[in-house]
Amino acid sequence: MTANTQQLIRELTKNAGPVRTLRSPFIRALLWLIPSFAYVGMFVLIMPLRHDSPAAFHDHLLLIELSAALATGLTAAVAAFASIIPGYSRNWVALPSGPLVIWMASLGPGCVQQLNEFGIQGLPLRHNPWCVPFIIVFGALPAVLATVMLRRGAPLTPRLTAALGGLAAAGLANVGVRIVHPEDVSVMLLFWHVGSVIVLSTVAGAAGRYLFNWRVLITKSKIRA
Amino acid sequence: MRDPLVRDNNFSELMRAAQAGNSREYLLLLEEITPRIRRVVRSQRAFLQIEDIEDLVQDILVSVHAVRASYDPERPFVPWLLAIVRNRLADGARRHARSTAHEIQVENLAVTFTEEPANPNMDTYGDVEELREAITRLPPIQRDAIQMLKLDEMSLKEAAVASGTTVGALKVATHRAMSALRKMLVKSK
Repeated sequence: MTANTQQLIRELTKNAGPVRTLRSPFIRALLWLIPSFAYVGMFVLIMPLRHDSPAAFHDHLLLIELSAALATGLTAAVAAFASIIPGYSRNWVALPSGPLVIWMASLGPGCVQQLNEFGIQGLPLRHNPWCVPFIIVFGALPAVLATVMLRRGAPLTPRLTAALGGLAAAGLANVGVRIVHPEDVSVMLLFWHVGSVIVLSTVAGAAGRYLFNWRVLITKSKIRA
Repeated sequence: MRDPLVRDNNFSELMRAAQAGNSREYLLLLEEITPRIRRVVRSQRAFLQIEDIEDLVQDILVSVHAVRASYDPERPFVPWLLAIVRNRLADGARRHARSTAHEIQVENLAVTFTEEPANPNMDTYGDVEELREAITRLPPIQRDAIQMLKLDEMSLKEAAVASGTTVGALKVATHRAMSALRKMLVKSK
């Protein structure tokens, strides 16, 4: 062993104190979900419910859509937390794809029905433009919390990790927005809600290398050592 | 040679102790894994110099130290370690590619003085006839400005008095004349 490497090992181990090991990705995803859910729930409680809420919440398709969006957020969080553990199978990153497909498919019958009813020219394309800022505000704390928690792991795939974290936060935010924000034109939902979630995840992914990188992690650990 | 499973269990035990703050066990673990890391680096990056290999080994050791909290003692140690090694090697290759993309290989640098003066073509133009001909094609104000300031080497004040114009107007005329000459000469090449 060369003298320099031996010296480095001595320095690393000399003052290395105990570390709190990371829990499994499932438990960490739940630990993320609880405060994030409470935050989104707080908005849902303080904001007026959509005007058609009694009828809307008896709509099976809406319930499937909300459950699938919530499942997308949760599974994306599990996948993001798995992606920062060295040695975890890469297959975990595919976990949110199932709920994501169900979520998009839940909007499909509505799209088809409206197309049959109105035709492509007559589609009612009214849209309340507040859904995108709402998704951003509702998803802000979940996104920050996910970033803080994900920075404790190894930045093996920073872009993918950030995109999954963004998908988790935006998926959860979308559930809250759908409860308070009336928008029942499926084509518009697909475009603005699912579209916003995908765009936000992509933006988060693009920022991945700045959010999660070895340089920052190593500097932090050297300061602590 | 020891059974890989036994060896992995041994590493797991050492890492568990290291995570609990036992620096002696941690030292033992790092000393045990360093030759293995070096072997992997050497096999994957056989073209590197010894000191570059050692740099990578140290980089990996520091990375292992930084993310030691991410190791779950219930899971095997070697896949955890190898994932970090592979990731850091890929990062190293990306860094290397980035840095070499901006490097220019220079051979036989002059030690004391440069062999060629800086901007050797700044003050002279190769084809004097062509330059003279281009000057004649300039508008009269610009041609006079070039004649007085560049060829007769008059000062701006002297030239302004001689041509009955202002210093500012002369500067503008000279600037336009130089641009026009540059265009004409480039076009004719």
